Amino acid sequence: MGEQGELAAEKHVRYIVTAEKKKDSFESLVMEHLRASGAYWGLTTLDLLHKLHAVDAAEVVDWIMSCYHPESGGFGGNVGHDPHVLYTLSAVQVLCLFDRLDVLDADKIADYITGLQNEDGSFSGDIWGEVDTRFSYISICTLSLLHRLHKINVEKAVEYIVSCKNLDGGFGAMPGGESHAGQIFCCVGALAITGSLHHIDRDLLGWWLCERQCRDGGLNGRPEKLADVCYSWWVLSSLIIIDRVHWIDKEKLAKFILNCQDKENGGISDRPDNAVDIYHTYFGVAGLSLMEYPGVKPIDPAYALPLDVVNRIFLTKQQ
Amino acid sequence: PNSQFLFFEFSWYFFELNVHIGGWSTQVLQILFPISSLYNASYFHTRLIVTVIVLCRKMVLSTNFNLSHLKDELRLCALILSYSPKNESTWSHRRWVIKNLAQHLQDMPELIDKESLLVKDMAEKSKMNYRAWRHRCWLIPYMKTKQVLDELNKSKKWAELHVADNCSFHYRRSLLLALLDGAANREDSLICQSEAYLMWKEELRWNETLIRRYQGRESLWNHRRFLSQWWVQHLLSCEETSLSNESLADLFLSQEIHLLSDCLGAPGDEFGETRVQVELAALYILWISEQDAAVKGKVEERLKSVGSLKEVLARACPEKSRLWTHLLHC
Repeated sequence: MGEQGELAAEKHVRYIVTAEKKKDSFESLVMEHLRASGAYWGLTTLDLLHKLHAVDAAEVVDWIMSCYHPESGGFGGNVGHDPHVLYTLSAVQVLCLFDRLDVLDADKIADYITGLQNEDGSFSGDIWGEVDTRFSYISICTLSLLHRLHKINVEKAVEYIVSCKNLDGGFGAMPGGESHAGQIFCCVGALAITGSLHHIDRDLLGWWLCERQCRDGGLNGRPEKLADVCYSWWVLSSLIIIDRVHWIDKEKLAKFILNCQDKENGGISDRPDNAVDIYHTYFGVAGLSLMEYPGVKPIDPAYALPLDVVNRIFLTKQQ
Repeated sequence: PNSQFLFFEFSWYFFELNVHIGGWSTQVLQILFPISSLYNASYFHTRLIVTVIVLCRKMVLSTNFNLSHLKDELRLCALILSYSPKNESTWSHRRWVIKNLAQHLQDMPELIDKESLLVKDMAEKSKMNYRAWRHRCWLIPYMKTKQVLDELNKSKKWAELHVADNCSFHYRRSLLLALLDGAANREDSLICQSEAYLMWKEELRWNETLIRRYQGRESLWNHRRFLSQWWVQHLLSCEETSLSNESLADLFLSQEIHLLSDCLGAPGDEFGETRVQVELAALYILWISEQDAAVKGKVEERLKSVGSLKEVLARACPEKSRLWTHLLHC
């Protein structure tokens, strides 16, 4: 059967490819409203495992573009769904994987996002106005990938994110919001992309983050919560960006992630012996990538895309 | 899974049919939610709710502005939240409704009370619910000083019964910060200031009793980190001295170290909670000493009876050595 602590890469690839094909499966049905993000999670995982070619690129690109709303410039979570920044980022990221940014009207998408920036520098998720630091990260990441970051008020955007910094060094969903590892990733990632990491007290934040490691080696998202594989990404990438990743026990974390695999059917779950899903499969593999697990491509901690994809975007400038 | 699959397909068809015929209705949701709850299908709820909320917003925007319509929206949100307490679009929609209501309502305090109560009920069923508590924190700027103080008092009992719920302590921190903010900015700033001082002192005392009673609870120690931070700065700026002519800050720090040595000296327990308590206590002392060079000196001085800070940390949390060796520059 192999070592106990091994990554069952082939099984995970098969799990993802099968899930992608079975559009009327149970999991598909349940994730219908966020299928665009599901595509990003699944396809990025395939790329990290060197198996992106297992899917038909043209088919994927066509499907992604069918979620596009030309009038607004945004993408919906599925065909016919209203546009939202969440799915706009996922769509752009998927196209980055296939090096097909050429199919996009980058200026139109940039306009969509620019229109969602509020006076205080924050970003709404869509026309209904909900504000959250997640949307700050998403907007900044999307525009950066499209080489159009200058279209928003970057200074105000950074100002808003910094206003969400708490006394414990962490960041919340809005000013005064409880520190949460997911929100922290979004704020740290956004500050990294905009070259504003000097606003962070690295020791203080690193302290909060390293306290997320539980006895079982896994990471949680807030004090007193159970470890969850998705925090292997949110916490780990944040620690790497602020150069404090040596404050956690990486070996123990890797063991925890590997224990969350379904080695028979493929896929990774939130914690050992639970049901698997695409979301946790992605975050588990991404976490292992950050820890340089053999056989997994390196991933960029701020853009959440394979490093070679990010290099291709920024080292060979595209319009 | 097969029967669940069929149920979902049918429900979705039924829902869309209803929408197509005459608009969604609360009754439809009242049928679908309980049945899908039998399948523990919260993810189905999310998909359903996303659609419902979009429809709600479109309908409310299209009809003439009407207070009773808005109040219906609140009722619908409450229904949805009772099945899906973490659904952010529902909480967000609720805030959108309240913002609209706030412009026309006289009895905001009553509305805020009701909202607070709603969150408390949600929090009971869904622990550490970030979205629900965020909603409760969102109400704070709408509160006058008296309501802030009331909320601190009213939410105390709940916090005591849920000492592992970090959200409720974060809520208390937000209320305390609102008092401090009031002390700086409002017309009743003098009252805010004296109230803040009293509440802080009481909160520290109460927090200590909980720490001693419930071993190894991270949220209690995190709360103390927050409380001490402001309290020490406040005491350092105080000119009063204690009966023994020690400065108040020195006295407070001595008390905190006394708490640490009590934790260090406690007998081990079968659940390992004492060990966690020791680790949290040591990290807490490290936290205070890192706030300020002056405080660091005072802490080191008072720790001498127990050992140096480095020795205490090495005993209490060896796995975190990378963290504290960096901070202590050793």
